Amino acid sequence: MEKDNTLKIELARRPWYEWLAWVVWLFVLIFTAQNAIGSGAEYEPTAATIFWAVFALLLIGGGIVWYVRRQRLIS
Amino acid sequence: MSEEKKRVSRRDFLRLAGLSAGVGLAAPRLKGMAEPKAGATYADPAARPNRPWWVKTVEEPTIEINWDKMERFNEQMGSVRGPGMAKYVGQDEVDRLKKVNAQRTTERILANEPGYSLKDQALYSSHGVRVGRSYLGPQKAATPEDRGVPKWQGTPEEAARMLRVALRHYGAAQVGFVELDDKTRKLVYSHDPDGKELIFTDDAAASETDDARYIPNQAKWVVVYTVRMSTETLKRAPTPVGAQTTSLAYNRSENIQAQLQEFLRGLGYQGLGESSTNALTIAPAMAVMSGLGELGRINRLITPEFGPMVRIFTLITDLPVATDKPINAGITEFCKTCKKCAEACVPGALSLETEPTWEVQGGWNNPGHKTWYENSVKCLTYWREEVQTNCGTCFAVCPFAKEDKAWIHQWVKGGIASVPALDGFVRSMDDTFGYGQKDPESWWNEDLPEYGIDTMKTVQEA
Repeated sequence: MEKDNTLKIELARRPWYEWLAWVVWLFVLIFTAQNAIGSGAEYEPTAATIFWAVFALLLIGGGIVWYVRRQRLIS
Repeated sequence: MSEEKKRVSRRDFLRLAGLSAGVGLAAPRLKGMAEPKAGATYADPAARPNRPWWVKTVEEPTIEINWDKMERFNEQMGSVRGPGMAKYVGQDEVDRLKKVNAQRTTERILANEPGYSLKDQALYSSHGVRVGRSYLGPQKAATPEDRGVPKWQGTPEEAARMLRVALRHYGAAQVGFVELDDKTRKLVYSHDPDGKELIFTDDAAASETDDARYIPNQAKWVVVYTVRMSTETLKRAPTPVGAQTTSLAYNRSENIQAQLQEFLRGLGYQGLGESSTNALTIAPAMAVMSGLGELGRINRLITPEFGPMVRIFTLITDLPVATDKPINAGITEFCKTCKKCAEACVPGALSLETEPTWEVQGGWNNPGHKTWYENSVKCLTYWREEVQTNCGTCFAVCPFAKEDKAWIHQWVKGGIASVPALDGFVRSMDDTFGYGQKDPESWWNEDLPEYGIDTMKTVQEA
């Protein structure tokens, strides 16, 4: 019997609104990081801290969403 | 296999097509980034800079003016800066405040109080040396007559462009022009701070005597320009570190005025400058009329680009220039809701009323415009009794006093101009984000550019 050399890859297609959500998330992430760095350059420690905190929350939130979605697809 | 290959090929093809399209679209933009912006070379015939998109040019200023009620103001006896203060509180009180001021200054130096220590006072005193300013200017540059050539000729737009470029080169941040007519002449002081009367005359040449300065009727244009102040030092108000910000801007303006007067002389025209600080015209009023900014609750100019962190200077010339219109960037409207300056004003010299009024607080105010008139006597008394410098707290806490290094500030200013309903929220956020006065001692550790200002910001705004 001939050995099967093919590899089957399944790609889950994201709906358009999910792409949009990721684009918005990325934009807000970049915007927040710029404001955090800019506030540091303005010697505004409170503003910089708030922006870095929001940046961290967004990053962690995005990571959690990505992980949960991935686990759901694998199972 | 062939089916798989086909799929991959199609995907690769699409990917390549997408990449090519992306590069195709991006290439002109990248090329554009490497080249100077069109705005950076002054596309406007009069070299008016491009303002942010949320700044609108309007026919009338955003504060109401009653020109019938407006009179020329006597800066010597009317304001509290000079001998006028004694008129309002009496000479004994003026003498007492002077004594308290000197005594408290010494006490604070000896106590090594942050912001008031010897190094802070020394920084403040270092601006005492002045190159001097005068009404007629140094008058040393060669005139066209001296050179045996005709005087400069050009259109008003060309003249405005030339003056804008020269003034920016000398160190001015913004430049605007106002024509003197029956209304705007009321913004020229009746008397300068030294008591000399300012008189309009049919004489062709400006002149000065022991009692008066004569302005030729043919000198119909006012050059209005701002000199930026360091946001970082003025946010240390009220301390000598904060106060010297003003002195430094005044010092820089002396050179700018003298250079502008000599430049105009070299072109064959007259430049009639300020004989001292706060002389010749009501500078914030002229700045409002020329669209450099709007009048705020602090009774000073607030510009869209630099907030209140500018000092304003004026010069009258007989060189015809293209004039400018007032602007509306939502600033005066924002002041109705914000009130941060009035709440921070320790002596309560600024109005907390929501709506501006025609009613003045005292003789130090010049009536005829609808605004939030301040109590200058309370303000000056606080300077002498409590802080021993000029104050500037209202400048320091103003939400427009931002360096704009963070993108959010431009977005917020755009929002203020477009959606006034957000003004209250913006004010709350300004507090939450900790904007306002700063620790005076920390300034001595900050790494800042020349004069504490990022001069590229002026170019980027354009």
